[in-house]
Amino acid sequence: MYIIFRKEVSAYFSTPFGFIFMGIFLLFSGIIFTTYNLVGGGGDLNGMFGLFSNISFMIFPVLTIKMFADERRNGIEPILLTSRLTTVQIILGKYFAACFLFLVTLVVTGVYVVILKIYGFPYMSAIIGSYIGFFLLGAAFISVCTFTASLADNSVTAAVSSFGALVGLVMAGAFSRTLEIPVLSQILSALALTRQYDEFIRGIFRPGPVVYFIGFSAFFLCLAVVSLGRRRFA
Amino acid sequence: MIEVKELSKYYGDKPGVMNVNFSIDSGEAVGLLGPNGAGKTTILKMLASQMLPSAGSITIEGIDAIINPKESARCIGFLPEIPPLYPDMDVNSYLQFFAEIKGIESKGRAAHLNEIMEMTSIVDVKGRLIKNLSKGYRQRVGLAQALIGFPPVLILDEPTVGLDPKQITEVRSLIKKLAQEHTVILSSHILSEVKMICSRILIVNGGRLILQDRVENLEKSGRSFTIRVKGGRRQVKKILSAVPGVREVTPADDPAGESAGYCRFLVIGEAGDALREAIFRKLASENLPIVELHTMGNSLEDIFLEVTV
Repeated sequence: MYIIFRKEVSAYFSTPFGFIFMGIFLLFSGIIFTTYNLVGGGGDLNGMFGLFSNISFMIFPVLTIKMFADERRNGIEPILLTSRLTTVQIILGKYFAACFLFLVTLVVTGVYVVILKIYGFPYMSAIIGSYIGFFLLGAAFISVCTFTASLADNSVTAAVSSFGALVGLVMAGAFSRTLEIPVLSQILSALALTRQYDEFIRGIFRPGPVVYFIGFSAFFLCLAVVSLGRRRFA
Repeated sequence: MIEVKELSKYYGDKPGVMNVNFSIDSGEAVGLLGPNGAGKTTILKMLASQMLPSAGSITIEGIDAIINPKESARCIGFLPEIPPLYPDMDVNSYLQFFAEIKGIESKGRAAHLNEIMEMTSIVDVKGRLIKNLSKGYRQRVGLAQALIGFPPVLILDEPTVGLDPKQITEVRSLIKKLAQEHTVILSSHILSEVKMICSRILIVNGGRLILQDRVENLEKSGRSFTIRVKGGRRQVKKILSAVPGVREVTPADDPAGESAGYCRFLVIGEAGDALREAIFRKLASENLPIVELHTMGNSLEDIFLEVTV
């Protein structure tokens, strides 16, 4: 797994993709931080993370659009599938590489915390909780994008399907707050990642949502493993 | 070394490869010829465990390639028609990556890769990004990837396509040298290239293996001919196969004739007129008229054109 992880991380930073993701993410976060905190005078990052969770579906597909498409186009995928690497190792290596890039980007936003610390009295526990929650949310989004990318034969299809899947999850969160239809409301609540994330923004750190995010990610990674394994039999 | 039995591949209900049988001994260099769409690449991908057959079996070095694809893939170095490259990696990093996933121990890995880079003459470009290399160099990098671990079997799918004459000469010389120490299966349209490198030829057309023999045997005068007979295909094939001196009887396409009760075969046997005379007498005794008998030309090109009509 580490072979794939290392190769993917190297690819992110030797091509524009990693920098595009970081650039877009930091641009949006910078705008939101400026609006909510520097201009608006907010003393925490709840506004930034709250808004970010609802617009991040536009950014995360960038991480995964080339995850499988390039190797399929270049004829490398069959070699990987018949190498000593297992399908699980391939999927996890790629997934953790994408999460690593996301984590590095989040670390860069630590400069906002430094600014808040210098000019205010931020509640650090809540901020740390928000960061952990947002990382778990992002990791869950990345797992969905990994699965949809594993189904796609080209980058465009991977991007569109990832975007669509994440829009669906964000909309599920929005509808779950307003709909009162039995069964459907429960299903939407289960899919509403952003709703589970709300607790972190409010400074509540419970094991339940953490386990939920990990389980959600694991489910979609399992689907990705099955999807990739089936390509061997094409 | 390699045993293929009743190998078939269907894309939906469309046949790609049908009932192909052949075996390749250790150290042999075999050429796989055929027109576009004949099924060559499909056969090679199935041999390299990169595609699952619809039916049949493949055994490589005693390993069932369908049940144990990873084990059999370790015995094979495969260079597809389009080399599997990471354009944004440099040559050295690319080969390091493939050496790792192929399980080359880290202790001797650098020396192993250096040896392969020298064999394929890519040492001077090892630090360059693959996307900046010429087609010839990319082909050689792909070949270097196939050589990692020095697998006993090399499968090369049209390794010289798109190269300039100088690059073609260099790659052919390299393959000929590799054929001395590896079992090589080479797919190509270029008959002279196959003749230069390979000792045995398999000709594929319409998904079927229609001819297999040693190059020198194929080019012997009068050994191969096509025959068109009025009669049932199975009956005629059985009779022809039983004639002494006949080595191989392969059905050939006869789309216009089949509906009218004719069948066409490619026959390989002993050189000379005696065989044709024996066939004539046998078919006449069975009341099966010969309507056409055409001796194939001596050159590989003539034979190829004749059997792939």
